[in-house]
Amino acid sequence: MMSFLLEIGQGLLALALAPGLVGFVRWIKARLQARRGAVPWQPYFELAKLFGKDVVISSNASWLFRAAPYIIFGSTLAVACLVPTIFAPLPGDGVGDLLAVVYLLLLGTFFLALAGLDPGTAFGGMGSSREMTIAAIAEPTIALAIFGLALGAGSTNLGRIVTNTLANPILALSPGYLLAFAALFIVTLAETGRLPVDNPSTHLELTMIHEAMILEYSGRYLALIEWAAGLKLLIFFSLLANLFVPQGLATTLTPTSLLMAGFIFIGKLAFLGVVTAVLETRVAKLRLFRVPELLSVSFVLALLSVISSFLLR
Amino acid sequence: MAPSLFSQLSTLGACLALLYGLLLLWRRNLGSYVDAFQGQSVVLAVLFGVVGYFGHDPELYFVATVFVALKVFLMPYYLRRMQDRFAVERERDPYLNVPASLILAGLLVILAYAVMRPVVTISSLPTRSGLPLALALVFIGLLVILTRKKAFTQVVGFLILENGITLLALLGTYGIPLIVELGVFLDALMGFLVMQIFIYQLHGTFESIDVDQLNQLRH
Amino acid sequence: MSFLFLILPPITAALLAGLVRPYRSWVGRVNSLLSLIPIGASLVFIGGALTGGPAPTFGPDELLRADSLSALLMICVSAVAALGLFLGPTLGGEDPYRAAQLRRYQIFVNLFIAAMLLAVSANNVGVMWVSIEATTIFSALIIPLILTKTSVEASWKYILIGSTGIALAFAGTVLAYFDFVNLVGPVENALNWPVLMNSAPALHPEIIRVAFVFLLIGYGTKAGLAPMHTWLPDAHAEAPAPLSALMSGVLLAVAIYAMLRWKAVVDLLLGPAFTNQLLIMLGLLSMVIAAFSMVIQRNYKRMLAYSSIEHTGLICLGLGLGPMGIFAALYLLICHSTAKSMLFLLAGNIFHRYHSTQLSDISGLLKTMPVTGRLFAAGMLALIGLPPFGMFVAELALFRAGFSRQYIWLMVAVLVLLTVAFVSLVRHLNKILYGPIPKGISVGEPFGWRNALLFINLGILTMLGLTLPAPLLTLLNQVVGIVAK
Repeated sequence: MMSFLLEIGQGLLALALAPGLVGFVRWIKARLQARRGAVPWQPYFELAKLFGKDVVISSNASWLFRAAPYIIFGSTLAVACLVPTIFAPLPGDGVGDLLAVVYLLLLGTFFLALAGLDPGTAFGGMGSSREMTIAAIAEPTIALAIFGLALGAGSTNLGRIVTNTLANPILALSPGYLLAFAALFIVTLAETGRLPVDNPSTHLELTMIHEAMILEYSGRYLALIEWAAGLKLLIFFSLLANLFVPQGLATTLTPTSLLMAGFIFIGKLAFLGVVTAVLETRVAKLRLFRVPELLSVSFVLALLSVISSFLLR
Repeated sequence: MAPSLFSQLSTLGACLALLYGLLLLWRRNLGSYVDAFQGQSVVLAVLFGVVGYFGHDPELYFVATVFVALKVFLMPYYLRRMQDRFAVERERDPYLNVPASLILAGLLVILAYAVMRPVVTISSLPTRSGLPLALALVFIGLLVILTRKKAFTQVVGFLILENGITLLALLGTYGIPLIVELGVFLDALMGFLVMQIFIYQLHGTFESIDVDQLNQLRH
Repeated sequence: MSFLFLILPPITAALLAGLVRPYRSWVGRVNSLLSLIPIGASLVFIGGALTGGPAPTFGPDELLRADSLSALLMICVSAVAALGLFLGPTLGGEDPYRAAQLRRYQIFVNLFIAAMLLAVSANNVGVMWVSIEATTIFSALIIPLILTKTSVEASWKYILIGSTGIALAFAGTVLAYFDFVNLVGPVENALNWPVLMNSAPALHPEIIRVAFVFLLIGYGTKAGLAPMHTWLPDAHAEAPAPLSALMSGVLLAVAIYAMLRWKAVVDLLLGPAFTNQLLIMLGLLSMVIAAFSMVIQRNYKRMLAYSSIEHTGLICLGLGLGPMGIFAALYLLICHSTAKSMLFLLAGNIFHRYHSTQLSDISGLLKTMPVTGRLFAAGMLALIGLPPFGMFVAELALFRAGFSRQYIWLMVAVLVLLTVAFVSLVRHLNKILYGPIPKGISVGEPFGWRNALLFINLGILTMLGLTLPAPLLTLLNQVVGIVAK
C-alpha cells in the first residue's frame, strides 16, 4: 500500500519536474548559442497561459481530437509512475514491467498520430506519417534495448533489473549494457523529438514532425500535450540514468533516503540535459531519408546487446 | 560467476571492433571508412597488447608494433591519399540500402554465434566469448564487398575482413606462429598496394571508381 | 638441397629482370634457360619419391618437404612454367609490348612461378597459404599489361575475389589450428602436414567441419569452382597468352593441391563421406555452369577459360569418388595442364595473326596458319576427351570410379554435360578451322622452334593416352595412398 502511494507520488514528482527539464535544456542551448535565452522555468508560465486560453477546434475534427490529449497525458503519466525515478520498485509489487512501459508509450504515440490525422489538414497528415516512420523502428528498439538488460536480470520487471545492476556494478561495463545504452540514447533523441531527428523549436512545416501533429491544438489541449511531451523526455532520461547507473536510487523507504535520492535524481537529469543540449547544438538535423538509417543503427546496437547478453550468460 | 577482467576486456575490444565495422555499412562518405578502419586497427593493436600481457606471450608485443605500423599508419596514409583524389565519390545508392544492410548485419551476428557455438564450448581460453564477434566481423566485411559499389569501399571492406580473421586468430589461439604471422602481414601489405594501384588504373580508364561501370565483360 | 635448385632459379630470374634497366632481350633468354633448372630438380624429387624412403625435407622446422604429391605438382608447374617462359613475349615474338612492360612481365611472372613452386613444396600450412596469396598478387599485376577497360575490369575482379577467397581459406586454417592447439598446446611445428595428419583423429568433428567449409570455399575460389568462379573467364581471357597458359594450366592445379592436402587431413577425422559430398556438389555445379556458358561464347579465350572451369569441376568431382576417383582426377589434372597450356599459347599465336579475340573473326585457320591450326585442333580434340589422347583414358577411369560407387545418375549427368561441352567446342572449332580467309590476314606460317616446342605437349598427351608409363603409375598410386588412407 505504502509503495503504491509512493509510486503515485513518484509520478506526480515527475510531472512537476517535467516542464522544468524542458526549460533547462532550452536554457543551456541558448547559452551555448551565445543567446540569453528565457529563464529555465519559462515552460511553467507557458503551461499556465495555455490552460487559461480558449480552445478552437476545427469543424472537421471528431471525438478523437478531443479525447486524444487526455489519453496521451494519462498514458504518459502512468508510465512516469512505473519507471524508477526516486526509488527502486520492490520486486514483489507486480508493477513496473518493461512490456507495460513500452505499450503505454506506444499508446500515446499512436493516439498522437491519429490526432494529427483527424482534422484532415495537410500538415497533420505529414507529421503523422513522419512520426510513424520513426516510431516503426524506434519502438521495437526500446523494447530490445531494455530486454538486453532484462536477460541479465532474469526478469522484465524494471525493479528487478535495477536491483540486479546495483548488486553487480561491474555489469555496467559489459558489452550488453554499453550497447543497450547507446541504442536507448539514440531512441531517446528520436522519440522525444530532439535533434538530429526533429527540431523542437522549428517553425518551418517542412522540418516539423512532432510540431506538425499538434499544429491544430490550442488552449488546455495543447497544454496537456506539451506537458506530456516534457514528461516523456523526463521518462526517457530517468530510464537512461537509473537503469544503467542506478547508484543513488533509494533502496529503503525512509524520508531522508528519499530526499537524497531526489537530489541525486535531479543531478542526473541535469547532466543528461546538458549532454543533450550540447549534442543538439553540435549536430544538424538529418534529412528524413537518413533518419531510418540512424534508427537502424540503434536497432542493430540493441540487437547486439540482446545477443551478447543472451549468449554470454 | 563474474567474468575475469581479461575476459571482459577482450570481449569489449571485440565488440568495439565490430561496431567500427558497422560504421562501414552506415556512413556514406569515404573519409569515415578510413576513420573506421584506423579506429578498428587501434582497438586490435591494444587487444594484441592485452592478450600479450595476460597470456604471458611477449611475442605479441612485437606483432602489435608491426600491426600498428602497417594498419594504423601505413595503410590509412595511402587510403587517405586515395580518398583525397576521389573525394567527390560517395556511396550514393549501394546495391543494398543502409537500413537493410544494418539489419542484415545484425542477423549475420546471430549466424556467427550459431556457427561458432561448437568452438566456444570447446575452448577453455578466457577470450573465447569474443570469437563469434570476430567471425561476425568477417561476415560484415564480406557483406560490404558484395553490396557496395565503390571500389574504395570494397578495398576497405576487404581490410575489415582481414582484421576480423586476425582477431579470430588472436582470441582463439593467442596468435599464430610468428613466421606465418609476418608472412600474412607481408601479403596483406602487398595485396593492399596492388589493389591501390588498380583503383588508380580503374579511375584512369573508367573516369570513376564505380564498380557498376565494370560491365564490359559479360558471359 | 634440391629445393634450392627448385625455388632459387625463378627468384634469380626475377632479380635479374629487376636489376637490368632498361629491359634487354638477353634477360629473357637467360630466364628461359634458368627455368629449365626447376624441371631437373622436380625430376630428382620424383626419382626420390619412386625409390621410396622418407620424403626429403629442408629448412628450419622442416619448412619444405617433397613427398609424391608435391613432386607430381612440381613437375607440372616447372614444365608449364618453362614452356610459358620460352614462348613468352620476352623472347622477341610479335608482341607489341614496350620494354618497361616486358620488364614488369618478366619480374612478376618469375615471382609468380617461384610462389607456386613454394606453395607445393611447403610443409607448413601457413607458408602454403602465404605463397598462394602471393601468386594472386603477382599474377594480378601482369594481367593488365596493356591498360584497356576490359583488362582493368578483369584484374580488379581477380584481385578482389581472389584475395577475399584466400582470406576465407585463412579463416579455415585458423579454425583448424585453433582446434589443434586446443588439443596439443602451441607447438612450434604445429602447422606441418605430417603433424596435422597424425593428430587428426583426435580433433573435434564439428570445428573441423566448419573449418573445411571455409577452406573449400577459399581455395575453391582460386581453383575456379562455382559459385566463386566469376573472376576466372575475365582474368584468363584478358591476360597475355603465356600468363593465361600458366594460370589455367597450373595455378588451378596448385589450388586443387591445397584442397587435396586438407581433404587428406579432414578425412582422417570425419571419414571421406563429408568432403566427398561437398566436392561432388561443387564440382557438378561448376560443370553445369561451364558447359552451358561455353555454348554462348563469342570469345575464344573465354571459351578456353570456361573449359578450365569445367575441368576443375570434373577434377573435384573425381576427388569425391574415392581412391579410384582420386587416381582418375590426378590423371585428368596432368592431361588438363598439358593440353590447356598448349591451347592458350596457340591462342596467343592466333591473336597475333588475326588481331581479334572474337570467334566470329577467326576462320580458315588451317590455311592461314597450318601448324598452329593443326596443333590447335589436336589440342581441342584432346581437351574434349577424344582418343588417342590422355583425357579420354582419364575420363574413362573417372566413370569407372563413379559407377563402382553406384553413382549412376551422377555419372549420367556428367556424361550429358561433357557431351554439351563437346558439341559446343567442336562447333566453335569447326567454324574457326574452315571457312573463308578474312581480308588482310596473311597466309602461311614458318615452322619455327616455337611451334616445335608445343609438339612436346602433344606428344605427352598422346603417350598418356596410349600407355600409362610405370613411373607415373607408381607415383599416382603413392599419391592416392597419401590422400586416401
